[in-house]
Amino acid sequence: MTELIKTPRTGETLPVKAGKRTNPLANVFDELVRFAQSRSLFMLHYCTGCGAIELPPSMTSRFDMERLGIQPMVSPRQADILLVTGYVSVKTLKRIILTYEQMGSPKYVIGICSCTVNGGMYWQSYATAKKLNDYMPVDIYIAGCMPRPEAVIAGLRELMENIRQGKADSWKDYYRHYDHYLGHQQRLFGETWQTPTDVIAEARHYGLFGPDTLGTHTALLEQHQRPLEALEMKVDIPELMARR
Amino acid sequence: MIELILMPLAAFVIGLAMVLMMRRIGARLQRRVGPPLLQPLWDIIKLHGKETQTSHGLIHELGIVMAIGGFVAAVTLMPLPGMNGLAEQGGLIALVYMMMIPSLGLALGVGQCANPNGSIGISRALTAMLAYDIPMVIVVFGVAFFYGSTSLVQIIDAQQAGGFATWGIAEMPLLAFAGLFAMQAMLGKQPFEIYVAPAEIATGPMVEMGGKFLGGLFIMQCFQLYAAGALYTLLFLGGGENWLTFLIKVFAVVAIPMSIAFLFPRYRTEDVVRLVWKWPAMIGLLGIAFLMY
Ligand code: SF4
Repeated sequence: MTELIKTPRTGETLPVKAGKRTNPLANVFDELVRFAQSRSLFMLHYCTGCGAIELPPSMTSRFDMERLGIQPMVSPRQADILLVTGYVSVKTLKRIILTYEQMGSPKYVIGICSCTVNGGMYWQSYATAKKLNDYMPVDIYIAGCMPRPEAVIAGLRELMENIRQGKADSWKDYYRHYDHYLGHQQRLFGETWQTPTDVIAEARHYGLFGPDTLGTHTALLEQHQRPLEALEMKVDIPELMARR
Repeated sequence: MIELILMPLAAFVIGLAMVLMMRRIGARLQRRVGPPLLQPLWDIIKLHGKETQTSHGLIHELGIVMAIGGFVAAVTLMPLPGMNGLAEQGGLIALVYMMMIPSLGLALGVGQCANPNGSIGISRALTAMLAYDIPMVIVVFGVAFFYGSTSLVQIIDAQQAGGFATWGIAEMPLLAFAGLFAMQAMLGKQPFEIYVAPAEIATGPMVEMGGKFLGGLFIMQCFQLYAAGALYTLLFLGGGENWLTFLIKVFAVVAIPMSIAFLFPRYRTEDVVRLVWKWPAMIGLLGIAFLMY
């Protein structure tokens, strides 16, 4: 099902344009904000795979991530980094994409473990998504089965350096090449796949709408898209209903 | 007039240092190094500089403003060394009111997020507020009864008149203890931290807050730590003769609940209410009874 088809994205980096930011405050203190962003990272650790076992040591007394300003957060709204630690099954991938789309930009994705790079030892598994960067832009991969806390921290440091220099903007790639990522998602989940987030509208909002944002896959999405409805409020407990 | 700007500013800066102290204490107790010096500031700048600011509506934004504004108003009612602000006009009763506004503002804001975790969290937070406000009010009015005044300026003057022997903590040890207990609950620190509960309800009230909204809550936390420490210092430790003693006292007061906090798991909501209405409230009432006879 998932074969390594040739992906136009790998290796090719887009020229970084210093565009106007949507947040006026960020525009004024760009440099300061970038530094603050690199020194304060809230991470959402999506611990699906075995690689997650190396995160507690890197957060607690032995390696202590907090001295780098990295601390765990619990909801996607608060987080900056999405850590995907290990193999990603097709089912969890859906949740990861939902989580990723809810995070506030600028957002960064780190793939920990060889399994996120190329499937690792789950290469032959029918239920595992092989390459994480087919489905969402990944900032840094930390390879290893599993990478030791030193490697995790080295990877995070590299990300911090990239952020400070303004190079870690792969989140923009998701908007610029939404069609590409959506195509891979549809390949796994079927053509009726949709998320509650209107990525195309967001791309317009951030001024990141490009020629590759729309394409055949987004046309397919539009065809199947059902408008989001608010959940119906109802109490379905028989005892309660009888009492009313 | 200028005091009204300087006092919240001083409170914010001291509050930032307190947040750092809190995190450092936590780190030391867990044998870690802890965050660098300006970490609380970087967090706040980063959160305000995020590109996505997911708002859930007007009340969501106003709620955060109310949460910070309540503390800013409260801070101007607490005399600092050399600055009285509105303390002469306001007094203790206004102060106790102001300290309740942030929780209500937060409740409004979280209500509009319509996230079930947030609603659970805020209902727990308001229940906890109901719990700790009873001993808090007993303590505050016990002190006011003892000094025969609700003006903080006069209370401080009376305490500073005779050195340590006339400090509130020497005159009313039972009330001071009850106040410390209630402060632990007021700061929402373990074991009274059920409404945040990151692993169970995803930080409760904060669950839908991202970007500047979370940044606003971080600022609120600075003010909250400062307000709690300053209130206790003013009531029981004789306020500040000068900035040095004031700062030492305020930081020492806040360090106590922080050091206790990281050693405990948490109580359930009903247990919080039971515990807080039983011990600090009873000790506070006993303290008032001693003062009367
Ligand atoms: S790379 Fe190894 S340790 Fe990491 S998720 Fe895959 S099998 Fe587990």
